[in-house]
Amino acid sequence: MCRGRPAEHPWGVHQDVLDLARLQFGLTAAGHFLFVALTLGLGTIVAVLQTRATLTRRPEDARQVRFWGQPYVINYAVGIVTGLVMEFQFGMAWSGLTHEAGNILGASLAVETLVAFFVESTFLGLWIFGWHRLGRWAHLATIWVVVLTAYLSAYWILVSNGFLNHPVGYGSEGGELVLTDPAAVLTNPAALLPLVHVLAGALLTAGFFMAGVSAYHLFRRTAEADFFRRSLRTGVFVAAPALMAAAVSGGLQFAALASFQPMKAAVFRGQAAEIARVQAELATRFGPGDYIPSEGWTRGGGLVMLIAFGLMMYLCFAGVILAAFRKAVLRFRLWHLVLMASVPLPYLAMTGGWVFRESGRQPWVVYGLLRTEDAVSALSPGTMRLSLTVFAALFLLLAVLNAWLLARHARRGPVDTGLGRDERTREEALQAPPLPPY
Amino acid sequence: METLAVTLLACCAVGWAVLAGTDIGSGMLLPWLGRGDAERRLVLASFAPFFLGNEVWLVATVGVLVGCFPALEGELLSGQAPVLVALLAGWIVRDAALWSRGRGPGPRWRAACDAAVTAGSWTVALSWGLLLVALLTGRPYEPAGGPVALVAAPAVAALFAAHGLGFASLRLTGAPYQRARRLVGRAGRPWHPVALTAVPLGGLTLWAGAALPLAERAAAPGTLALLVPALAVVTPLLAAVQAWVWYAFRGRVTGPSYL
Repeated sequence: MCRGRPAEHPWGVHQDVLDLARLQFGLTAAGHFLFVALTLGLGTIVAVLQTRATLTRRPEDARQVRFWGQPYVINYAVGIVTGLVMEFQFGMAWSGLTHEAGNILGASLAVETLVAFFVESTFLGLWIFGWHRLGRWAHLATIWVVVLTAYLSAYWILVSNGFLNHPVGYGSEGGELVLTDPAAVLTNPAALLPLVHVLAGALLTAGFFMAGVSAYHLFRRTAEADFFRRSLRTGVFVAAPALMAAAVSGGLQFAALASFQPMKAAVFRGQAAEIARVQAELATRFGPGDYIPSEGWTRGGGLVMLIAFGLMMYLCFAGVILAAFRKAVLRFRLWHLVLMASVPLPYLAMTGGWVFRESGRQPWVVYGLLRTEDAVSALSPGTMRLSLTVFAALFLLLAVLNAWLLARHARRGPVDTGLGRDERTREEALQAPPLPPY
Repeated sequence: METLAVTLLACCAVGWAVLAGTDIGSGMLLPWLGRGDAERRLVLASFAPFFLGNEVWLVATVGVLVGCFPALEGELLSGQAPVLVALLAGWIVRDAALWSRGRGPGPRWRAACDAAVTAGSWTVALSWGLLLVALLTGRPYEPAGGPVALVAAPAVAALFAAHGLGFASLRLTGAPYQRARRLVGRAGRPWHPVALTAVPLGGLTLWAGAALPLAERAAAPGTLALLVPALAVVTPLLAAVQAWVWYAFRGRVTGPSYL
C-alpha cells in the first residue's frame, strides 16, 4: 500500500531532484540541529540561574543570568530562521510525504507550531524586551514558559520523526494513511526515547559550552576569575550527569533497533550474513528492491557518535574530580585548553547520531510504508538546484555568523551591554517602581 | 469541522499579514524613516518587542495548512517553491540582521545590517505579493508571472510599506516620527492610518485564500476531530497573550531597545 508515486505527478521524478532534495534536507536538518542543541540546553541552565538570582537577589547571580542569557538569545535568534526552512521544505520538496502520511505527520507538525513554537516565540520576546519592564517574578515566569514550550516543541517534532522511523497507530483508507490510535502515536517509543536522548544531549552541549567559555577566561587570567570559576563548575556538573542520561537513553534505543529496524543494526555492526538475511526478508515482504542503506553514512555516523561519546566520558570523569578543587579550576591551564578544545564534541556526537538514525532507515521515509524516492516533489532540477544553493549558502552564513557572534560575546566577558541593560530614560526609571537589577 | 479548520487558517494568515505587515513595512522604510545610526535604532525599537510574535503567525499558517489540509499543502508549497525560496531567504536575511545588528562591532557593521533588514523586508513583501497574485489569478500551483504579477506584486509591497508607515507614525517619536507623520497626515486619530491599511492587507489575503479548494481537501475526519478542537482552544489564548504584549508595550518609543 501507499507505494506508488503520488497521483498528481504526471512525469517521473528526476534522479537529480531526489538526490538534491535529500542533500538539502540533510544539510538543513543538521544545520538546524546545531542551533537547537545549544538553545534547548542553555535555555534550561539560564532559567535555573535566573530562578536562583530571583530568590537570592544577589547581583553576582544576576550577572550570571545576563552573561549566559546573551549567547542563548544569539543562538536562539539566529537558529529560529533555520527552523522556518525545515517547516516549509516538507511541503516544498517532499509533497509525497504530506500527501500519503499527512493525516498523521501533518497533525503533529501543526500542534508543534501552534501549541509550542508560537507560545515559545511570544514569550521569548517578552523575556528579552521585558527586562526592567516586567516584575521580577513575572520576568522569571516568561523564561520558564520559553524553556518548557521548547521541550514541548522537541516532543512534537520527535513524535513526527518517531512516526517516520517506526510508524504506529495508523490504518490505511483509500491509499492514504489515517490516524487510528492517537495514544499509540503520542507514546511511540521511537519518539519518547529520542526525546530523553535529545534533551540530555542538549544539556551536554550547553555544559561543554559553558565550561569551554569559562576556561577561556580562566586561561587568559582575565579579571573575572570568580565569575568564571563558578560557571566552569556549573558547566562540568551539568555535563557529567547529562552524558550519563544520553548514554542510557541511547543504549535503550539501540536495543529497540533489533525489532524496529533490524537492517540498521546489522549495517552498523557490519554483519554481512545478517544484512543478507534481512534483505531477503524485506524483499519477500515488500517486493524486490534494495533495502540496504548506505553503509558509509550509517556506520560512519554511528562511529563518530561513539568516538565523541568516549572522549566526553573521559573528560567528564576527570572534570567532576578536578572541579572539586578550587585551585585546579583557577590554575590548571592544560585542563582549560582541553575544555576549550572540546566544545565541538557534543555537536559532533549529535550530528553523527542523527546521520546514523536517518540514513540507516533508508530507502524508507516512512519505515515500511513509503519510500523516500516516492515522497519527493515533482520539482524541476533547476528549481531544486536553486533552492539547495540558496539554503546551503544561507545556512553556512548563519552558522559562521552565530559562531562569530558567540565567540565575540564570550571573549568580552560580563560587561554591562546588551541583554538586560536598562535602556529606559532617567524619567521612566524614576517613575517606575524598583525592578530587578538584571 | 472543515469550516472551523478554514476559519483557523484564515485567522492565522490574516493575523500574519496585518501584524507582521507593521514590522515588515517599517523595515522596508528603514533607510527613509531613520537617517543615521541612532534614528534607525529607534525605528527598530518601535517593532522590536513584537516582530518575533508577529512572524509566528505565518509559521502557524503553514502549521494549520499541513495539519488540516496536508495534501493541498504539499501541492501548494511545491508549486510555489521558487517564490517560497525567495520569501524564506528574505525572512532569514532580515531576521539575522535584526538580531545581530547590536551584537557586532562598529557603525559599518550596523549600517550593513540595516541594509540587510531593508532588502529582506522588501523581498518578503514582494514574495507575498507574488503568492497573492498566483492565488487570485486562479493558478495556485505555479509561480505567478507576466505583466499582472509585475504590476500587482509591487502594489502589494507598497501596501505593506504604507502599513508600516502608519505603524511608525503611531509608535515613533522625534525626527523619524516627524518624517512618518508628514506622509501620513494629521487627519483622524493616530491609529486610523494603520487600521486603514490593515483592511486591504487582511482582505486580499482572505480573498486569495478563498481561491483554494480548502473544504474538499481537508485531512481525514479522524485527524480533524482531534486536531481542530485542540487548535481552536489554543488559538484564542495565543491571541490573548499577544494582545497583552501589545498592551504592555503600547507607549511610543523614545530610546533604543536590545536590537
